[in-house]
Amino acid sequence: MNAPSNGVSLPRSIPDYLDQLRAALSGADPALVQDALYDAEEYLRSELAEHPEQSEAEVIASVASSYGAPYEVAEIYRDTEARVQTALRAPKPAPRETALGRFFGVAADPRTYGALFYSVLALATGIFYFTWVVTGLSLSVGLAVLIIGIPFAILFLGSVRVLSLVEGRIVEAMLGERMPRRPLYSARGKNWLERITNMFIDPRTWSTLLYMVAMLPLGILYFTIVVTLLTTAVACIAAPLLVGFGAWDNWYINAWDMGSTLYPWQYPIVFVGGVVLLFATLHLARGIGRMHGLLAKHLLVKSAQYA
Amino acid sequence: MDRDTLDLALRKFQRELSAGTVSLALLAVLAAAPGPMYGYQIAKTLERSGEGVLSGKQSALYPVLRNLEAAGFLQSHVEPSVAGPPRRYYQITEPGRTALNEWAAAWRATRTSVDSVLEGLLP
Repeated sequence: MNAPSNGVSLPRSIPDYLDQLRAALSGADPALVQDALYDAEEYLRSELAEHPEQSEAEVIASVASSYGAPYEVAEIYRDTEARVQTALRAPKPAPRETALGRFFGVAADPRTYGALFYSVLALATGIFYFTWVVTGLSLSVGLAVLIIGIPFAILFLGSVRVLSLVEGRIVEAMLGERMPRRPLYSARGKNWLERITNMFIDPRTWSTLLYMVAMLPLGILYFTIVVTLLTTAVACIAAPLLVGFGAWDNWYINAWDMGSTLYPWQYPIVFVGGVVLLFATLHLARGIGRMHGLLAKHLLVKSAQYA
Repeated sequence: MDRDTLDLALRKFQRELSAGTVSLALLAVLAAAPGPMYGYQIAKTLERSGEGVLSGKQSALYPVLRNLEAAGFLQSHVEPSVAGPPRRYYQITEPGRTALNEWAAAWRATRTSVDSVLEGLLP
């Protein structure tokens, strides 16, 4: 194999190796980087534990031929990812030629329905995350004067990391944004005090908290937009048919005749308006999904590259 | 044709060959194992049986393990370890064993037919 000739020295320690791997993977999906680093670290530390008589540098040197040098590992992960993505992803619908085809083609895109469902689900998850974070934060601050305050705060931050991984799985399944499958393992050989300090100074901890608090207003917004627009669209589509067939003849609400709310010449206009609104809503939902996927990636994983 | 081009072609061939067989070898290792194993142990077991299957680096195992798990052929759980990050232990499932039997039959059929074509060609 031709090693890259830019004079990169051989890694001498595990953090060194991981740094080189991270550098070799620069530009790749941050979630993939996090998974690759996690796997490599598991292998390296196991190898080190297996050969206590050798120095770290010797073990790392021998690993280059078994596990692979950082640039080889990077190549393997990029390669596998490309292959799995093409195999597992639903094939992209053929791009439509006409503007009309593009407008109505949104109904054939599976991503649309994932985003639609996520928007509705976001109300529930948003309430849960918000409650969890606000309760946890206020209890952490409130209990800080007592002996159990600090362990509680640490437990709370740990639980937020787990929730962040769970939210990542939901986002990947429904919005199709690649998210990490393994937790970020950044405490390299540090003692427990340093690990805890790390948790507090890691910007990702705080960006995750921000994301979870923001999920309440966002969840309410997404839910309201999707439910209101869908209901209006379906009502507009159904109303001409129901009124036309006389479903509401002789129905009165406070002397308001429901059977004559629409004149026959208005039927086609309302019906077409409803169909257009329905598809516009699908476009909007897909847009919300794409935007939220990016937001989740920025706040939940982005900084994993620099950890 | 120079040596480099031949080497490149050989590596490409090995990679394509191992793309499918690695999954089979992983299922076989885990089916034979007395208990759950983690990535490093699996890599070392395969290493002992020869580098032939992997034809490359052991880092290629981890993504394959993850895919087999996603397909339902393996299940995994995490245990903390003193040596480093928490380890993920893999274990074969019932559908995994069924798949292993079917894949092994397909592998034997392929091997027999390739061998019969190669018969007499090799010194």
